[in-house]
Amino acid sequence: MISVIDSIGLSVIKTVIMVRDFVVLTLRTLVYTFTPPFRVSDIFKQLYFVINESAPIVIFCVCSAAAVTIIESSFHMKIIIQNDALVPGFAALLILRELGAVVSALLVTSRVGAGIAAEVGTMQITEQIDALKMLGINPIRFLVVPRLIASVIGGVVLSILANLVCLYVAMLVSQYKLGHSAGSFIVAMRAFVSMQDLYFAAIKGACFGFVIPLVSCYFGFRCKAGAEGVGLATTNSVVTISISIITIDFILSWIFSYFY
Amino acid sequence: MSATVEFQNVQMSFEEDVLLKNINFQIHKGEKFVLIGPSGEGKSVLLKLMAGILKPSEGKILIEGHDMWNCLPKDRLALLRKMGMLFQKNALFDSLTVGENVAFPMREITQKSEQEIQKQVKYFLQEVDILHALELFPDEISGGMQKRLGIARALALEPGIIFYDDPTAGLDPITSRMIVELILRLQKELNSTIIAITNDMNRAYQMADRMAMVVDGELIITGNVGETQQHKDPRVVQFIHGYLKGPLTEHTEVNA
Repeated sequence: MISVIDSIGLSVIKTVIMVRDFVVLTLRTLVYTFTPPFRVSDIFKQLYFVINESAPIVIFCVCSAAAVTIIESSFHMKIIIQNDALVPGFAALLILRELGAVVSALLVTSRVGAGIAAEVGTMQITEQIDALKMLGINPIRFLVVPRLIASVIGGVVLSILANLVCLYVAMLVSQYKLGHSAGSFIVAMRAFVSMQDLYFAAIKGACFGFVIPLVSCYFGFRCKAGAEGVGLATTNSVVTISISIITIDFILSWIFSYFY
Repeated sequence: MSATVEFQNVQMSFEEDVLLKNINFQIHKGEKFVLIGPSGEGKSVLLKLMAGILKPSEGKILIEGHDMWNCLPKDRLALLRKMGMLFQKNALFDSLTVGENVAFPMREITQKSEQEIQKQVKYFLQEVDILHALELFPDEISGGMQKRLGIARALALEPGIIFYDDPTAGLDPITSRMIVELILRLQKELNSTIIAITNDMNRAYQMADRMAMVVDGELIITGNVGETQQHKDPRVVQFIHGYLKGPLTEHTEVNA
């Protein structure tokens, strides 16, 4: 009995320490983000990595998601109300408010988040981070800040891109599969969504982009030696970011609901 | 002689575990100081404390008379830049080429022009005899060449104090000897202070002016090569001769 209580207590203490360390990392990163020197070339390098590496995967996956959304919505609407005229509107709503931002963020997590955790983790266990410290280079300023800025900008860009591509593909599918004209799709869409939804999607993209590098770097810095350590850091970061994205999405959707 | 590195009552703990306790010693300018000792006893931690990578739990570490954890950030940076280090795993930046690895500290820290940096890069790579690998990446060169590259990078800012964490680890005896000769030649040329860790006793004797052993959280200054070889502490005797039985293996089952 005592050992069970001990282990629960130990887990609670470890969790509190982890949360404390993560908050400290976040605050330090924010301070360094807004204080010089600014590593502009590193930010552009990371931005290229985030967008260039993720955009093809995001575009491919949201195309599929858009097609599935349209076809499934039509199928079920026809069963319930014997009419699928509202499909473009509902699909646009679903895409702009949820699908575009969340799917693109989860894909960026698997590509960029995992990459950052593995890179920083490897740097940690091969003493490259110690080598930076030895040169008087702050690892947070050098590694985390450029990735954070790039990921926030990349999150916004990819979220908007994913939404636009998704809507376009939804329009094509509804045109060729369901027989709605492009004009009727746009009219139906405008009845359900507005530019505000795209702005909210961009805000979601920025928030998701904020979390990805912070969590990845956090687990990377804590990486234990060996291939297993890097694997664990990567897995933990992807799982934690995915849970964070779903949670943040819920919170933001709740907040945004007051503005609709 | 003035103390280049001085430890005053230094203790290092990780959570509850005390790894190093009450460490006091001095290393003088131009000295070649070699640390030996069983694995896991804290030699690398001691080196990282000297290098300012780790902060001691208690006590003071003075570099050229300045407490590096109790000074202004700019003074701490100035102290850090007086030191260079070859890490146990080399710590080479694998996304940078050999040339870029050596240029990295100069680009980050100094105001030197790119032309000047390139000249320096070629000079240091020539010194360690790997100029031909200038454009290669660290994973494209051999272990010995990686050590040489690590040394070139450690020297890039022309530091007065250079730390070598197991510079011959994983190298064959001939390459090990060549690396140590390189370290000694560069020490002579630059008149630097070197602090090295090695468990290869032949290389330790080849390098050391003075030696010390880290064991049971203590630092035993064993003296020069002759004094170390004649040392009476049974732990030192067992370690330097590699005996299987003795105080260091008292709690270890030896199946020789």
